[in-house]
Amino acid sequence: MTPSRTRSARKRPATRATYALLAGLAAGSLLLAGCSSSTTATAGSTASADGAAPVTNGAAQVKVTLSGNDCAMDYASAPAGPVTFEITNTDAAGLSEVELMSDKRILGERENIVAGLKSASFSVTLTGGTYQLNCPGATTENTDFTVTGEATAEASDVQGQLTEGTSGYGTYVEGQAANLVEAVGVLDAAVQSGDVAAAQTAYATARPFYERIEPVAESFADLDPEIDARVADVEPGAEWTGFHPIEKDLFETGAITDATKALSTKLVADIAQLQTLTTGLTYKPEELANGASSLLEEVQSSKITGEEEAYSHIDLVDFVANVEGSEQAFEYLKPALTTIDPDLTASISAQFTSVDAMLATYKDAASPGGYALYTEALRTSDAPKLTQSIQALQSPLAQLSEKVATA
Amino acid sequence: MRRNRIERDDRQGDPVAPGPSAEPRDQHAGLSAGPRDPHAGLSAGPRDPHAGLSRRAFFAAAASSAAAGAAIGVTATGIAGQAASAGQVELTAQADETYPFYGEHQAGIRTPPQDHLVFMVFDVTTTSASELQVMLAKWSAAIAQYTAGLAVGAVEPERELAVPGDTGEAAGMGANQLTVTVGFAPSMFDDRFGWKKYRPAALNDLPAFASDALTPEFTGGDICVQACASDPLVAYHAIRNLARMARTTATTRWTVQGFGRASRSGDRATPRNLMGFKDGTRNIETDDDFAQQVWVGDGSDQPWMTGGSYLVARKIHMLIETWDTDYIADQHAVFGRTKLEGAPLTGTKEFDTPDFQATGADGKPVIPANAHVALAAHENNNGTKILRRGYNFTDGIDSVGRLDAGLMFISYQRDPQQFITLQQKLGSMDRLNEYIRHVGSGVYAVPPGLSAAGDYFGKALFA
Repeated sequence: MTPSRTRSARKRPATRATYALLAGLAAGSLLLAGCSSSTTATAGSTASADGAAPVTNGAAQVKVTLSGNDCAMDYASAPAGPVTFEITNTDAAGLSEVELMSDKRILGERENIVAGLKSASFSVTLTGGTYQLNCPGATTENTDFTVTGEATAEASDVQGQLTEGTSGYGTYVEGQAANLVEAVGVLDAAVQSGDVAAAQTAYATARPFYERIEPVAESFADLDPEIDARVADVEPGAEWTGFHPIEKDLFETGAITDATKALSTKLVADIAQLQTLTTGLTYKPEELANGASSLLEEVQSSKITGEEEAYSHIDLVDFVANVEGSEQAFEYLKPALTTIDPDLTASISAQFTSVDAMLATYKDAASPGGYALYTEALRTSDAPKLTQSIQALQSPLAQLSEKVATA
Repeated sequence: MRRNRIERDDRQGDPVAPGPSAEPRDQHAGLSAGPRDPHAGLSAGPRDPHAGLSRRAFFAAAASSAAAGAAIGVTATGIAGQAASAGQVELTAQADETYPFYGEHQAGIRTPPQDHLVFMVFDVTTTSASELQVMLAKWSAAIAQYTAGLAVGAVEPERELAVPGDTGEAAGMGANQLTVTVGFAPSMFDDRFGWKKYRPAALNDLPAFASDALTPEFTGGDICVQACASDPLVAYHAIRNLARMARTTATTRWTVQGFGRASRSGDRATPRNLMGFKDGTRNIETDDDFAQQVWVGDGSDQPWMTGGSYLVARKIHMLIETWDTDYIADQHAVFGRTKLEGAPLTGTKEFDTPDFQATGADGKPVIPANAHVALAAHENNNGTKILRRGYNFTDGIDSVGRLDAGLMFISYQRDPQQFITLQQKLGSMDRLNEYIRHVGSGVYAVPPGLSAAGDYFGKALFA
């Protein structure tokens, strides 16, 4: 996903190349650091390595000590099979993370190993070869770790889980797109019949299907502005189309005109095209992770401010849909993430739970879309709370893409 | 490219010297703190083990990664060398000056006030004691790095998809005398984290004072962090990154950015507050006063506070426009001092001792009994003193079109009652009240300094 996607920026052709990344349309365009280098330099070993680590309880035991600016292992080799790294931070203020890597892939890691707190450990099953213990920030960041022989246990299934997850997410996107087609059809029927009240309800019903898959939709840089541009995004002279001019007619002027009907007809066609484009798409794990994070950026940049639904004020409906879309992307990555970084996974899950609980307090069956209208008064009183809750979720979530890309 | 540290021999005691040959005994002795309080001394040379080692170690790290060649890339975490070697930063005169983070007391209390302040108060959102513990341990380790002019994590991580560990705005700027001081509000000592039994008897929410105009937006909170530095960006960087680290555990509640120290310390010229008057002329200076008035001693009800202090923060809005229309004789009478020299109205020089008994030809006291200096003087308060460490602030224009500016009053005392005693008088009688409004408030238990890496704020409270 793109690092910054203000709505107005979407219109600029220069950003298109980056949108293509998410949907994986440009094959091979995302060259990861890990794929571009076949060698990993190591800057010597600080381990006191005499022989292989002793095996206790079926796993070789390696102690890693963070001290000063150094990261040291008591053994720099182990027999193939399970290996447990136990990490203690005695007094290293600048170090708090240890990873075991094979080339540039992270096989296991622990974070938040802070001086003064209890030691932490992780276990991996390794086959013969040379690995690197990576301690970001240490005088010597990478130290070789040698494994001899062949492992009897099977290798980790993280890659398989990730493949399954991205495929599942593809199905999710297709499902949302299909629902969107149907919901926009209902909206169109109401608009064409001139029924403002029914159209208002249908509008609020349709929006979440788009908002849940917004990062995917945004990757089609020509289509997204046709569907979801706000009036401020439209360049002078260009035509304003999509959901929001319809929203303006329905909620501000409360009148359906021939122009409204024409807009609705075009929206149906654009949504149909979106469904065609998203059918059969494949995704990379990091695209799910970045998409999950960018949905939360959306929340903070346009929902929390009330800019998105300026006429209907159903911003909280979009807000909830963005969070749901983010949570879905995370859930599809979760089986693999639980292996890669259980602490981070638990932290993100807990934050989703807390955000969901907070959003549930805004449920209001009487309002269009099922959530309280985001009035100026509500914004003034509640926006800081909403912002901080989303920030607390996004902070750990932003770490995901690096995890899954290097897994 | 190694830069030399600035030696400030005129200001520092040698913490490891067996005995001082000449410990200053004058009233400004506080600044050149002898062995009784090595922590307060400005330490800029290699004899400070922590700062010196870190810097040397960093340069070693930079050199080794450079030698390792392009395959590994430079992932040095020390911001100072990283940007400085690339010639990206113009260094201030204080860039390389550091105050030791570890010591008997926290830095940022007796430390001569640096020019800039960022004060931030957090609300703890987690209900898990272990998450709070991790946050405080991370903060402690991070503050050790920041105050040594180092970063935590890379500004440009090697992996494309990694989020930078450090935000980078202070890259290469050096420590700039940064100190970061942490305190716990009364609200921390409830049932959430098992701290109830550790609540010091002295730590309670401040009582309401006459003339208070407190707003919830600038009041209370769970944990305060005071960052002071000779460069505002360095102070803000520290606070911003601590807030970032805490994001899943604590939220930001209120903050004040201070510019221009507004409290006297040591032998430097007394600074002025935004009313144009010198502030802190009679501030606490001596070891005895620090021991008796500022530091919590051995006998308190909570041993974990020994060596700590209590911080009172008051965001004081000044009604600048009306003050600026007041005639000079009234301004003098409001403070009980002259404006330029800062002399008491009974004297001619700033450091003349005020004579509160002296009367004029009309038989009235020369220094009015309700002048600020008369109400606050220790002579009139059973010897009560507080260490003032305030800063000027401005927040732009307020909601009714006035300049939003004033004094971020910060005081340290061994018992909040010292402040309460003074403010109960000032709040009800001070002539200054016509021109000021206390709009923000907080009181915090500031634990003692950390002993060494591995120690962290609140460690004793998780036992």
